[in-house]
This record gives sequence, structure tokens and C-alpha cells, in this order.
Amino acid sequence: MSRRNNVRGPTSALTEFLRESGITPTTIARRATTQAQVQNQPDVGPSNTNADQDEVAEPSRMDEDAEDYASDNLDEHEEEQSAPKKRKLTKAAEAKLKAKEKQKAKRKVGADDDNDYEEEDPYNALSKMWKGDLPKPPVGSFEECVRCNKQFTVTKYTLPANPPPGYLCHMCAKASGADPFKKPAVPRKRKPATDKRSVVSFEERRFPSLASMCIQVISKYIDDVEALGDIGSINMDELAKSLARNRSLTPHNAQLFYDIRNTRLTMYDATNLDPPALSTLASLNPNLTHLRLDYCGRMDDEVIEAWSTSLPNLKRVELLGPFLVRAPAWQTFFKSHPALEGFLIVQSPRFDLECMRVLAESCTGLRELRLEEIGQMSDSFLEHVESLAGHLTHLALSRPGIPEALSDQALIDLMAAVGPSLTHLDLSGNINVTDAFLFRGLKLHTQRLSSLALKNTPELTDAGVAEFFDTWADAAQNAGYTSVPRLTSIDLSRNHLLSSDALTALLRHSGTSLTNININGWKAVSQESLKSIADFAPDLRKLDMSWCREADDWVVQALIEKCERIEEVKAWGCQRLTERCPRKRNVNIYGVEAQ
Amino acid sequence: MSTDKDNDWVRLISADGYSFLVRRHVACRSGTLKNMLSMESSFSEAVSNTCTMKDERGAVVERLCEYLQFKAIYDNGSLKKEELPDFTERLAPEVALELLMAADYYEC
Repeated sequence: MSRRNNVRGPTSALTEFLRESGITPTTIARRATTQAQVQNQPDVGPSNTNADQDEVAEPSRMDEDAEDYASDNLDEHEEEQSAPKKRKLTKAAEAKLKAKEKQKAKRKVGADDDNDYEEEDPYNALSKMWKGDLPKPPVGSFEECVRCNKQFTVTKYTLPANPPPGYLCHMCAKASGADPFKKPAVPRKRKPATDKRSVVSFEERRFPSLASMCIQVISKYIDDVEALGDIGSINMDELAKSLARNRSLTPHNAQLFYDIRNTRLTMYDATNLDPPALSTLASLNPNLTHLRLDYCGRMDDEVIEAWSTSLPNLKRVELLGPFLVRAPAWQTFFKSHPALEGFLIVQSPRFDLECMRVLAESCTGLRELRLEEIGQMSDSFLEHVESLAGHLTHLALSRPGIPEALSDQALIDLMAAVGPSLTHLDLSGNINVTDAFLFRGLKLHTQRLSSLALKNTPELTDAGVAEFFDTWADAAQNAGYTSVPRLTSIDLSRNHLLSSDALTALLRHSGTSLTNININGWKAVSQESLKSIADFAPDLRKLDMSWCREADDWVVQALIEKCERIEEVKAWGCQRLTERCPRKRNVNIYGVEAQ
Repeated sequence: MSTDKDNDWVRLISADGYSFLVRRHVACRSGTLKNMLSMESSFSEAVSNTCTMKDERGAVVERLCEYLQFKAIYDNGSLKKEELPDFTERLAPEVALELLMAADYYEC
């Protein structure tokens, strides 16, 4: 048995210290044994029965312990069972044993340094330590058998006594039932622990990008403002976007954007900011009036409560994904910010009717309201929105948790109340929006609307939308409004029923003012009407005509030639576009498959 | 033919007038420069083999070129991550912020 190799497993600082002081599991175990025996001895005198029980009980428990540890050596059972009998032999023998132990312990302290290299692997080290105390004496030396007290020569086959300490002569070893010639059990083949633990399930083999390395450097020097040079000359917003694109905004480098003089702060990806970091954000930027956080999913009650007190001047707050914030916390926030002018959130299953009521009651000057993807949205919300009539300019109630949550009639009533002041309206994803809403809601009540989004409202019909745009201007004049609302931005995407008539009417009504058009998914719209976009909308900047099946190179050609400010054309799924699709500098054309 | 093209020189001009000559295949390690220099387009950059980086200072363009060269040498998949020389040592914190934005714009 080569126990004296120099392999040692990792140990804690405490173990290391104890080992240096000469305290090892082995010495402790021995001390425990001797103490137990010392304690037991006085009892032996007065009552024999007691003593017997104790004596029997004690060693057997010890043996059990030993067994637990020596789980690798299951074949030594029989011997151990006979151990208690042997222990009970004589007091004299016991005393002798003890003396020997002490003697050995003394020797042991000296030998300790060598000895503790036994612990190769903390897992099976214990069993070895309990099995034998000392390194086996060298072959050929004399040793006294612990059982028969005869001197014998140590050979390769000499076995240690069980229980330890000491060694048995050949006869006693045989008598105890162990086979001295037995080959040492082949150690179970266990994979080296390191192999098992470092399972490589995924290896990133990407070459480090310059951006990621710059972020590393910036993070490293984040506390040393001067090292980073003149930050004032840098466009912080661009920097924030760069960091967000790499998803590397952390609580650590976010400090780059903090300043007590800040009134506006935008974080484009706050995924890595945890609640304490978001609370810190508020306390380090106490003068914020405008705050926008995208992907602020880790924001919770604690954060919004901190904001309630530490951001007294907040006027506009825009959050994407504050789904952990609970209703009572929202209410506290609204009550503490009566001057709030803009409240824009996307995605919250917890924002309920009571929150809406408190919002409308506390923040009476609200001008911008976005409640997008609100799980509990219902008609009763609208009553409270109506109370904001007169100053509300931006309203988005898109994609409610249940698509049918808002009824057509309730929306028409809402328009009657808030319509006159609205400039932006987004009711996307409300599948109850019908042509009637356009006629009785929008046409009659809106006076300043410039941006309209009605994505995925499948009840709208081509004829209805066409008639709406054809008659909107007249209706406004008849109603005596000073100006006719002209749209600059329209999003009617994913409304598959809409087609050429609607597009032509839209262009005739708002063509000259339109800068953004989204007709994604108008599958049947004709090539003629698509080409007329360029004629009617000379100011167009962005157009999404994806999945308009008749869009072809000529449509793109007309856009590029006639719309001087065009920046972006999306044409996903337009099969007629070819590789000869015309291009122009500073115009991004996305989605052309043939190239 | 293509190797000849890859090995010719292109000129990168910084906002403050410094010129940097790099091999075409090195410059093409940046996605944006690759598009600018693409032979299929008729951009003036591609015709004249010159890119004007009008938003970047000379110091920033210098680092950018260094990185592109570094990438051109080591990004061949044969080296493991541990064996890569540490390029961050060459990034001075003074230019790190500007360089980050330049890196973002030039896609490298």
C-alpha cells in the first residue's frame, strides 16, 4: 500500500492551520478513543453490569463510525464483529494498549508531517485515516503483535490490526479471518474528479471583438474618470446604444452615465441592472425629469419605492418590461409624483384597474400614456383614461392581454372624450376595432391626430378604410375644425384585408405629410397603387411594404427617384424583387431575397 | 486574381487628415469597411480605394487599424482563446470610449 505519495487534495484554511498545529483527523480520533475509555473506566468499579453495557456499547458505536467511513472496505466486516469481545479481554491488556497508543501518538507527532500526505482525495481519505494510523514499518523489521504480544518479522503480507493500532503476526492475522495473501483490492476505477467536473457543453470560439475589448477597458477604468479622457465631447447617447448592443451595461459601468446634473437618462438595455443598481441610479441622478429604461425586467417594488422618494422631479418615465412591480408600489409611485406628464410602460401583468384609477386621480396633468401589453386591460380602464381629457396627446393602449378586452363602443366613447387633443394614437392588436370606430370615433372627434397605429385589427375593411380617408377632410371641415388632421405616420400593418382602395385614399388624404408608412401584409395591394406612393408622398422616409406581393423593382425605382428623403424600405417576402433591384446610397433596402 | 486584389492597399483617412494604408483583406475584417470597399458596388470608396472616416480622430483610426491587423493575423480558428495575445493591453483608456463607438460603427 503506497499511502505516502505526495498527492494532497484541496483543504480549507482551517484544516491547513490545524494540520500545522499537529491536529489531524487521526489525532482527534485517537484522543476521542482514549477519552471515551478514560471516562468509562471509573464506572467499571461499582456496577459490573453497567460497565459491561457501556463497554459493549461504546466500542461498537465506534466501530460503526469506523465502518461508515471505511465504506470502501466492506470485506473487513467479520473481523469487526469480533472486536467487542476482544476489547473486553482484560484491564491489563487495555492499559497496555493505551500505553502503546500514547507512545505511538508521541511518535506520531513527529511523523505527522509525512503522514498527512495520505489525504489524496478528501472523499476516500477518511477511510484510510481510520484504518491505519501509522505507515507500515519497513519489511524485515521486528514488530510486536498487538494480539499475542509475540515479536514477529514484518513482511510484505503483514496486516494491520483491526481495530488499529498496531500490526498482527501472521498467525493472528489468519486467525482473525483476514487473508494475508489476498491481493489488495483493485481500487475502483473512478474517473479523475477534474474530468468529471469540467463538462464542456458549449465552447465559445468567437474572436473577441474590438467593441467587447473596449468595454473591458472602460469597465476597468470606470472609477478613474480622468483616465477615460474628455467624456464631455462624446455623444453619451451613442455610447449608451453601443453598450446596449453588446448587452454589456452593468451596475459597474452604468456609472459612466450618472451625473447629479442629469435631467434625462436613457438606458437601452438594463437587463444586467439588479434592483439595488436601479435604486442607486435614482439616488445618483436625483434631478432626472426624463427616464427611459428598456428591458428593465429586474425592477421590482423596492426600486419603484426608492424612485418615489429619490426622483422628485420626474416628469416622464418610459419602461419596457417592468413586470415585477406590484400594484401597491405603482400606486405609491403615482401618489408621490403628481406632476407626472408621461407614463409609458410596456408589459405588465400586475398593473390593474386600481393602479389606473390612482394614476388618473394623482397625475392630472398626464399628457402621454402608454399601457401596452397590459394583462388586465379592460373597458373599465377607459373610464379613467377619459378623465385625462383635454391634455392627453399621446395614447397607446395596444395589445391588451386579451385581444377582445376593449370593445368598439367603449373606444368610440373614449375618442369622444380624449380625441380632440390627441396627436398620437395606437390601438394595435385590439381586434374589436371596426370601421365604425373609424367613422364615429376618429373621424368625428380627432382634430390633431398625426400618428396612427392600428396594427392587426382584422375587422377593418378595405372599403371602410378607403371611405374613412376619403371623407375625413370634409367631415373635419363640416365640424368646423380649424385644421384638417393630416397624418405623418401610419401603421396599418398585418391587416390583410386592406388593399389598393385604402392605400389610394390614404395617399390622397395625407400623402404630402406622410413620412412613415407601414403596410406590411397588405397582400392584395396592386402594383399601380404601390407605385403611386412615390407620387403622393414626396417626403416619405420609411416604408414597410413587406408581403405586398405585387411590389417589384419598378416600385423601388419610383421610390428612390421621387422620394428624396427616403432612408429605409422594407421588402421582406416580396418575391418579385430581383437582384436588379435599384439601390442608392443612404437608402437601406431590407429583405430582398434575390441577391 | 483575387489574392492580388486582397493584397493591394487601401487608404483610410481620419477626420483630422491622417492617412493609414492597410491591406484590403485587413480592412475587410470590418463589416462596414467591407461593404464600403465592395467591388460589386460603385461607391466612390470602392473606386478610389480610399475610405474617409469623417467621425474618427487619427488616434482612434490608428487603434482600429491595429485591431484589424491583429484580427487578420490571429482570427483563423487555429488558436485557442488562451493562446491569443492580449490586445486590451494596447487599448489606452483615453481612446476606449471613442474606440467603442468606432468599433460599433465599423462592425469589428
